[in-house]
Amino acid sequence: MGTYFELDKLDLLKAQFDTAEYDAEQAEPALYIGKEQLLDLMRVLRETPTYSFDRMGMLTAVDYKDYIEMVYSLYSRRYDKWVTVKVKLDRDNPEVESMTQIWEGTNFEERETYDLMGVKFLHHPDLRRILMPDNYEAHPLRKDFVPLEPRIEGGVLTWHKQRSMS
Amino acid sequence: MAQTEKYVLNMGPQHPSTHGVLQVQVELDGENIVGAKPVMGYLHRGIEKLMESRTYVQCVPFTDRLDYVSAMNNNLGFCMAVEKLAGIEVPERAEYIRVICAELNRIASHHVFIGSLTNDLGSATGMIYAFRDREKILDLFNIICGARMTAHYIRIGGVAADAQDEFLRDTQKFIDYVPEMLDEYNKLFSGNEIFQARMKKTSIITKEMALKFGMSGPNIRASGVDYDIRKIDKYGAYGKFDFDVPLGKRGDNWDRYMIRMKEIAESAKIIQQALDNMPEGPYMAKVPKVLRPPKGDAYHRVENTRGELGFYIVSDGSTKPYRVHIRRPSFVNLQALDTMCKGMLLADAVTAFATIDPLMGEVDC
Amino acid sequence: MHSGILYSLGQSLREILTSLIGVPILVDLLMTIICATILLLIMATSALVFTLGERKICAFIQVRIGPNRVGPGGLLQSVADMLKLMDKEDIVPRGIDTWLWVLSPILLLVPSALIYAFFPFDDGVILADVNVGLFLLIAITSQTVLPFLMGGYSSNSKYALIGGMRTVAQMLGYEVPMVFALMGIVMITGSLKMSAIVEAQSDVWFIVLQPLAFLIYIITALVESNRPPFNIVEGESEIIAGPFTEYTGMRWALFFLAEFSNLMCIGILTTTLFLGGWHGPDFLPGFCWFWIKTFLCVLFYQWVGWTFPRARVDSMLSFGWKVLLPIALINVLLTGVGIYVYNVM
Repeated sequence: MGTYFELDKLDLLKAQFDTAEYDAEQAEPALYIGKEQLLDLMRVLRETPTYSFDRMGMLTAVDYKDYIEMVYSLYSRRYDKWVTVKVKLDRDNPEVESMTQIWEGTNFEERETYDLMGVKFLHHPDLRRILMPDNYEAHPLRKDFVPLEPRIEGGVLTWHKQRSMS
Repeated sequence: MAQTEKYVLNMGPQHPSTHGVLQVQVELDGENIVGAKPVMGYLHRGIEKLMESRTYVQCVPFTDRLDYVSAMNNNLGFCMAVEKLAGIEVPERAEYIRVICAELNRIASHHVFIGSLTNDLGSATGMIYAFRDREKILDLFNIICGARMTAHYIRIGGVAADAQDEFLRDTQKFIDYVPEMLDEYNKLFSGNEIFQARMKKTSIITKEMALKFGMSGPNIRASGVDYDIRKIDKYGAYGKFDFDVPLGKRGDNWDRYMIRMKEIAESAKIIQQALDNMPEGPYMAKVPKVLRPPKGDAYHRVENTRGELGFYIVSDGSTKPYRVHIRRPSFVNLQALDTMCKGMLLADAVTAFATIDPLMGEVDC
Repeated sequence: MHSGILYSLGQSLREILTSLIGVPILVDLLMTIICATILLLIMATSALVFTLGERKICAFIQVRIGPNRVGPGGLLQSVADMLKLMDKEDIVPRGIDTWLWVLSPILLLVPSALIYAFFPFDDGVILADVNVGLFLLIAITSQTVLPFLMGGYSSNSKYALIGGMRTVAQMLGYEVPMVFALMGIVMITGSLKMSAIVEAQSDVWFIVLQPLAFLIYIITALVESNRPPFNIVEGESEIIAGPFTEYTGMRWALFFLAEFSNLMCIGILTTTLFLGGWHGPDFLPGFCWFWIKTFLCVLFYQWVGWTFPRARVDSMLSFGWKVLLPIALINVLLTGVGIYVYNVM
């Protein structure tokens, strides 16, 4: 898929944003950024003519047990380049700026990430569950997920924490 | 003084033309659509979670169940992502067979598109004709791997079995039949006045909107954006073939239909070239029995029938993927539904669902 | 004065009855009852025949085989269908307007059955040869709109409601051009009597004299009988089944029966109004010609129906008002001029 973003440009970004860093030893290093500067970085990546990453290829979150990592894969149709941006989030209260402010098309993917991983997106226009039932209280893709128990209460399907298995 | 009121019509999840279990909350003013909200999750099986507890090889059949009308393309996407992660080189013959299968599957999937579109437009005859021809492709799959829809033929490192002469011969026969087939479709529906009246200038997605929504596949190309991952990334053997990327102008239903008709012809062109230059050699790379890709992550995208299908795989060095994320094209494309339906009539909503071509197995994952 | 097997059969039956009973009024009443029963039987049988016919023809067009399991070559399929429908649970949805809902399928059947009284099946074989036959016929067929609207309104379902509303809109769209198209025929015949219309075609069929009216009529007839490409009221891919979404079992079967009755009805009307009715070469009796033409018309309507996609509501309406109506009016003008020129010459 095209070529990876040049390292010297990554260096430029690193100079511009103080929380930006990358592992220079990797062949295709992901750009890590602090969550406060994510929105600004994305704006720069999208709007600077020499970068022009106009496409949010993929957006997801990975649960690494002690933190949650947001992964953004950006693609520039103009230069045929791609770059991965990662943000580490606090696992207990994962919050990050919504990318719908820059790419409107990330709406559903962010809702999915919220639904399955529990990451809250700030300034998202319509942050609701998308795949799981609205009254479901767990986030299935977390590593410590235990399936909830379905029960019918008063004709309504409700979900409850499982009683101990023993 | 007459009083008017808007009302919400729940189309689906049980509805003849929402293509599976999609529910669309259509807000109506008489028969004019004010808004259309898709509601998903009725087919959510948690494939991403299920994959975390299976080995890489065991994960492949799950991808068949994602977009079950173009299973080969899904297999291809996942296998290529794992190969990228584990650094496996695929033999050339396998690459060619993969391309043939993926393109055949693309044609079959477009058959489903044409069939369900014409059925939604009220002519069931079109559906039968399209499904009749799709059957020929499914028979080809039956020859090569014994399965018809959920093929599980493309494996990590190559393909499950070598392409027999019988398969190659019958594929050639099918490719020879394609122009005649398209001609028949054009006679039966493309030239039909009512069909054109319903398709042309309805549910327009402009270039800007298509880019804004992050759409991909035939849907974005119908709006005039040259974005075909087969051409851009040249993954697999695609760099070796000469084919065009058909583009639309207006981005209406008609363009989305015509793009797919033209893509069938282009796919046939690719298959023809692959058949002509089929190299000899092994069909499977040497893949360790217990696959343990090194620690790290990889994202690989392929051009699925419905658009950009991406697999993001995180490996922790064990035999099972730590996390798999699937970027599903239909899921992202569905965001355009509201814009497409606004200001149209209820009958157009059905056409809009059909031309956006979502597959619920993939949307709900 | 009349000839033909059916007419003489009827006459001999009347003679037998007269000799048995002797009171003319009673004989008339009995004859009417017998005829009405025969017509209802024809209607019921046609539904049976057409269910199979429709499926077989549709299968032929769609490169399929069609029903082939029940009976030899699937001949008993319609019987099996009927048994299945009788066997179905009669579901009455919650929150309906019960009276309207129950009456709707029954009322729908009444106009469909009633119009059979005005069809001349053979020379002199017509149950009610009234002076305003064609007018009455159009008036009665328009009544089918009301039960559809009733069913749609009372079903407590949005799909049904939309379907019901579409019926009314559609009726406004097709009724006017159809009436104006038939005006040409009435002008040439000089009578609204059905038998007179057939009689006027003994030399030249009206399809030759009124080609424009014929075209308009077949289009509007498709609309009137809810056949594709104008099955907007049912529109199964948009609004499930329109007004009869919520009906099951025998109630639904009544809608079904009415639909096939309407299909045959437009076949008969096309035959009677444009294809010379029972007229034909002498080697076959009149009623045979009548049925042959009718079935060919029905076949044509089914062929059209299974080939075209469905038109959209608004395009159908604008087509009716903006294209068909002007053409129909021009046709009336041309016919008038034609008649004047013919008379002068």
